[in-house]
Amino acid sequence: MNAAFWILAVITLMGALLAISLRNLVHCVLSLILFFLGVAGNYFLLRADFLGAVQILIYIGAVAVLILFAIMLTRNVTGTEGPRDMFGLGWWAGLITAALVAVAVWITLRSAPEAGVTSAGQAVGSVEAIGRELLTQWVVPLEVLGVLLTAALIGAVVIALEEVRRRR
Amino acid sequence: MEQLYQLLHGWFANAPDAVLRTVAIVVPILLIITVFPGVFAYITLIERKALGRIQNRIGPNRVGPWGILQPIADGLKLLTKEDIVPRRADKFVHFLAPVIAVVPAIVLFAVLPVGPGLVPVDLPIGILFAFAVSTASVLALFMGGWASRNKFSLLGAMRAVAQVVSYEVPMVLAAVAVVMAAGTLSTVGIMHKQAGGFLNIAHWYIFQPWGFVGFVLFVIGAMAESARTPFDIPEAESEIIAGYHTEYSGFKFALFQMGEYLASMAMAGITVTMFLGGYNGPGVGWKYIGPLIGVGYFFAKLLSIIFVIIWIRGTWPRIRVDQLMAFAWKVLLPMSILNIVAVAIAHYMESKFWAWIVTAVLLFVAAVILSKIGSPQNVERRTYRYAA
Amino acid sequence: MGLLGKGLFAGMAVTARNFIGSYFDGGRKERLFTYQYPEEKMPLPENSRTFPFLVCDDEQDPVGTMRCVACKICETECPPQCIYIVMDRDEKGKPQQRPKVFDIDISVCMQCQICVEVCPFDAIKMDCDYEKSQHGRFDELVEHLPDLLKSNAYYNRIKPTEASAVDARLKAAQEKKAKKAVPAAKAEGPAPAAS
Repeated sequence: MNAAFWILAVITLMGALLAISLRNLVHCVLSLILFFLGVAGNYFLLRADFLGAVQILIYIGAVAVLILFAIMLTRNVTGTEGPRDMFGLGWWAGLITAALVAVAVWITLRSAPEAGVTSAGQAVGSVEAIGRELLTQWVVPLEVLGVLLTAALIGAVVIALEEVRRRR
Repeated sequence: MEQLYQLLHGWFANAPDAVLRTVAIVVPILLIITVFPGVFAYITLIERKALGRIQNRIGPNRVGPWGILQPIADGLKLLTKEDIVPRRADKFVHFLAPVIAVVPAIVLFAVLPVGPGLVPVDLPIGILFAFAVSTASVLALFMGGWASRNKFSLLGAMRAVAQVVSYEVPMVLAAVAVVMAAGTLSTVGIMHKQAGGFLNIAHWYIFQPWGFVGFVLFVIGAMAESARTPFDIPEAESEIIAGYHTEYSGFKFALFQMGEYLASMAMAGITVTMFLGGYNGPGVGWKYIGPLIGVGYFFAKLLSIIFVIIWIRGTWPRIRVDQLMAFAWKVLLPMSILNIVAVAIAHYMESKFWAWIVTAVLLFVAAVILSKIGSPQNVERRTYRYAA
Repeated sequence: MGLLGKGLFAGMAVTARNFIGSYFDGGRKERLFTYQYPEEKMPLPENSRTFPFLVCDDEQDPVGTMRCVACKICETECPPQCIYIVMDRDEKGKPQQRPKVFDIDISVCMQCQICVEVCPFDAIKMDCDYEKSQHGRFDELVEHLPDLLKSNAYYNRIKPTEASAVDARLKAAQEKKAKKAVPAAKAEGPAPAAS
């Protein structure tokens, strides 16, 4: 399993790095999709199979498609400019964020027990357990999420209707 | 695959474990890669001959007796055609799009239970995996349309993606109804729940009212997913050139077609598993020929569903894009949600007979009301500005 | 959907009937009207025409019994001028009533049948043979005299009513000529016998 983890880690990181450094925006999105696949693979390695499948279904099937739609409907995709300023402000911001994330991860790993990650994953990540938890302990967040999604749908329909009415 | 591993372990007990595992993995992969594309090739022949007979003509019959060598001739022709890539097209994406069209379709076959103990991988989340993988083939449409650097291809790709994404929703919700009734996401588990009963047929989900509606919804969704008539706006011959695969020639075009047919076959296989009882049928439990009978039943049901899909292709006219979207969102989606409610009612009512009657009435009434709402019968008269 | 799907299923019943009926057609060509081309050819109606041919009365001696006398009316009347005729002359230069060269360029011929209509001798008629493709576009598509000569029996076979009408007309003309010759012979006949 170690070999699988290393391969997936390399794929994931490569996808992420390519996603921020490629010139053509569509290529960036495709490497982002590779990144999502790597994350899904990591979920499968951690025995959270429902989460991994949902990651593919939602992130690759919906979010990446949405990003592609947004990119294809704008111009200037095949940007001829590369990464612009190499040591500018953005670079410093990224470096500091990465440092903060690394510190947070190190503190978490140092204080949490390492043993129970994969052995207890069988019962916790399975679909029945997730479903039961969602409908008993976390019912209120579930319903709130439902209301939020409905509001988003209605908002999208209202925006689209307004466009149609304005155009007519 | 697990069963093969156990079998090999029983035969060669002193072989290293890694070798046995590798063989147990490679053999099902080889079987899938050879059997299903072979079946795909002959389904193209069956489709052409069946369409020909429906249209009062004979299909191809010159290449071999009854045209048996026709798929081979087609494959050779497409292999030897020149591979044209538009000059300013995105070469990498242009190359990758047919690959992404085919790979999810083949991966889908990994969770189909073909016979007793003959499922390549028995995932506990089988159905979810199937839908996740089939969603990934949406990207191929996009990539094909974008990489061709052709406005019309892009338009065709956008319409194709809109169609596929809209029909995924009622399809997945119809599958959710079956998953609720079976209580498990695994394809093998869903199929086992439909065993037993009279001749191993009586418990198939298609005989329940919610199962029948789910079957209809799922087949409609599967036809729209793989862009077959009557939903073949993305790839029909008289549509915007050819939609997202306009600029593809030679074997890349063949790969797009293969991805479409394999996706429809895999979806038909999942339909068989979920609604028609998989490989269940009279005589599957017998001692030595049970597995063969099971495989025979599975392929018989698969071919009959594919034949119905081909029959529909030869009969119905194409649906216009706006009618298509209206149908998906206004008719199929509420119907699939009501289907889930019907499953819940059927699950919690004690008397199975009254549950059947109540859910049947509920779904029929809902279908009639939705079809009246969803079909625009009050189209206003067109007014012409310049004509009389 | 009960009432709404009726048209859908009626359509599928029609195609099912077509599909199953095509297997039990039995050669009647109602549900399966495919003619498997080189083996079976579609029967053409009698009036179908492709390119002209010359009629000869006897198959054994086509050149001797052909009806054409090289009057060149068809060559003059042909609108695209695809016919080329050279009259046969014997050694002394006297014209025979026969063409030596009769060429029709079928890449030019427009099948208007004017040559048939104006021929006073019923010598040129329209054929219905359509398998005339050659491997070249120019010289190979010119038909010469030996290929154009076909027998009256062939003409009767391809166009029975027209051929029988032509035969009847020719026979009537011949009998009238014979009857006209007989009184002339009878008029001169008895006198030499008497003297």
